[in-house]
Amino acid sequence: MNANRTQNDLSKQKPLLEVRDLRTYFRVEGGIAKAVDGVSFDVYPDEVIGIVGESGSGKSVTSLSIMRLIPDPPGFIAGGEIWFNEQNLIDLTYDEMRRVRGNEIGMIFQEPMTALNPVFTVGMQVMEAVRTHQKVSRKEARNLAIEILDKVGILDADRRLKDYPHQFSGGMRQRVMLAMALVCNPQLLIADEPTTALDVTTQAQILDLMLELKAEHERGSIMLITHDLGVVAETCDRVIVMYGGKLQEMGSVEQIFEDPQHPYTRGLLDSLPSHQRPGEDRLRAIPGNVPSIMDLPSGCKFCTRCEDAVIGCENTEPPLYDVGEGHLVRCHLLEDAVK
Amino acid sequence: MAAYFIRRILLTIPTFIGVTLIVFMVTRIVPGGPLERRIMELRQASAAQGGSSTSIVDSTTMIPKTALNELKKTFNLDKPAYVAYTIWLKNVFQLDLGRSFFYKEPVWEMITSRFPISLTFGLTGFILSYLVCIPLGIYKALKHGTPFDFVSSAIVFIGYSIPGWAMGVLLLLFLASGRFVDVMPLGGIRSSSFDELPKMVQSSEEVEGVSDEFGTFQWERLTPISKFVDIVYHMILPVFCYMLSGFATLTVLMKNALMENLGQDYVRTGFAKGLSERRVIFMHTLRNSLIPLATGLGHALSLIMAGSYLIEFVFNIDGLGYLGFNAIVQRDYAVVMGILVINTMLTLFGNIFSDVLYALIDPRIRFD
Repeated sequence: MNANRTQNDLSKQKPLLEVRDLRTYFRVEGGIAKAVDGVSFDVYPDEVIGIVGESGSGKSVTSLSIMRLIPDPPGFIAGGEIWFNEQNLIDLTYDEMRRVRGNEIGMIFQEPMTALNPVFTVGMQVMEAVRTHQKVSRKEARNLAIEILDKVGILDADRRLKDYPHQFSGGMRQRVMLAMALVCNPQLLIADEPTTALDVTTQAQILDLMLELKAEHERGSIMLITHDLGVVAETCDRVIVMYGGKLQEMGSVEQIFEDPQHPYTRGLLDSLPSHQRPGEDRLRAIPGNVPSIMDLPSGCKFCTRCEDAVIGCENTEPPLYDVGEGHLVRCHLLEDAVK
Repeated sequence: MAAYFIRRILLTIPTFIGVTLIVFMVTRIVPGGPLERRIMELRQASAAQGGSSTSIVDSTTMIPKTALNELKKTFNLDKPAYVAYTIWLKNVFQLDLGRSFFYKEPVWEMITSRFPISLTFGLTGFILSYLVCIPLGIYKALKHGTPFDFVSSAIVFIGYSIPGWAMGVLLLLFLASGRFVDVMPLGGIRSSSFDELPKMVQSSEEVEGVSDEFGTFQWERLTPISKFVDIVYHMILPVFCYMLSGFATLTVLMKNALMENLGQDYVRTGFAKGLSERRVIFMHTLRNSLIPLATGLGHALSLIMAGSYLIEFVFNIDGLGYLGFNAIVQRDYAVVMGILVINTMLTLFGNIFSDVLYALIDPRIRFD
């Protein structure tokens, strides 16, 4: 981890991934659901960036948009740019995009139980990833598959190649997913809630494994999508907090955890069991529920649940204020502080 | 897993005995059995003789006891039902299904001689159904919600709601009766006269060439190609009717299975790996979608071979179905029981075959 890096250090190097004003909408009954509405951020080489938010905040849609895996219909990328390796992924043809997927950007998902095809052997599924992107013989693909399965901690990989997904436990399947995503040595790994479906000990093992593998890969980056702030604190260098399809706060792990500026981020942190104050016998929670994506307020998306909301919050969308060292916050309350 | 299948095979024995025992008992109980029929025949015969007093029986007198006992003996009706059943069962295990009460022929031979006919129709219909329904189901799944999907669904369900034999009657009326057009044969499995041959065959064969010295049509003298064309010509309508009902089930099953699988997480994983759409659909989802279809395969086994009573009846095809249908109408219980034996065996082993297929196609399924 490079926890001590600041935005200024980072900005000296060229980002690996630049997301600019990404807008991903869904056609639904009664209109357009703006699942992701104008999100911009960079991912630098050799960093772990976390995207946190509640369900429906747009974090998963952001990651699927980068992979261009948004089911169309009903979803579509309405605008924006995604720059990766000198190319705008949004402009790529279907076949060009295929060469990026699994090859330059790998992705793993939340449910390892269902993310693998039940009727094919694990070996076949890993080898398939290799042979899709590299012109190698069956034998070479097999060796690469054994090598990567060994690396992700599958014991006796040579023999287990012939096993089917149901013969693996959840944690082991997530390791297989990781092997499949990493076998072509991608520069970026997108992990969409990779540990949500796993038990706590397995979670830690998978996260450690991801960081270990990243350390081996020079300049490789991880984009970790999660709702678990504990996971973020342990693994990420920088954090993006999303709410209502918009980026609400972005900064280094220290900035976010020690000096949260957005009322939503503060609410999230306060609701962690470890942040419980003495004398309180209940966990603190952000009041209310995530509003439906169809009736978000036109102003600040969080104003309906914000304890600090003032008159005017619901009418105008606050801009992202830079409160120093690349710490960005979208909140009206900071208007004066920044000036 | 071997233990499981051995158990399944052993279980077929009590099931087989149960099925045949019930039907056997029913044949003993229901009125109008072979004995009554024979008595009726004898009475009619005596009535036809004008009721002369010299005749041993007439319409009013009873059949003599000795004759009656003799008759009972031939049908094993003189023994208690369970004894008769045991005798029948013992004979079945020696492949002796008895003689038809009606035709006096061995039942085993009657069945085996008709087996190839039903098998040809059943197998053709079965293969064609799968060849049409699987691609159609796939295409419908990929085009879900389009006009093509709606129209084909409508057609398939209309077909589903019409019984095959009823469709057969309609098709014969419109295509073969001559009242509308006359492009199809009325029935049978091959032409019985030169005029009945399809036009295509007629033009390539000489009337004299395919007739014997008496000018009678000899089907055997046709060239192999003509024979084939003639058989296909006779098979079109019945096979279509065979397929009709299964068509909707298969197509919709295929479509739904594929649609369900296209929404699975592993499809997204496949795309995230960079696989082509073609590979994801035809390699990953198709294999999973075929699992529900494979189970139907074992069940289809009995349908393929047993034929269809009503369709064979409508098209005048002398197959197993037709034989069984007539046997029931004529109370020819030896034949009824013989066909029951074949059908029961096919169903029982078809089910085991389904399980084998299941285990082969889906690695998650292991019978322990």
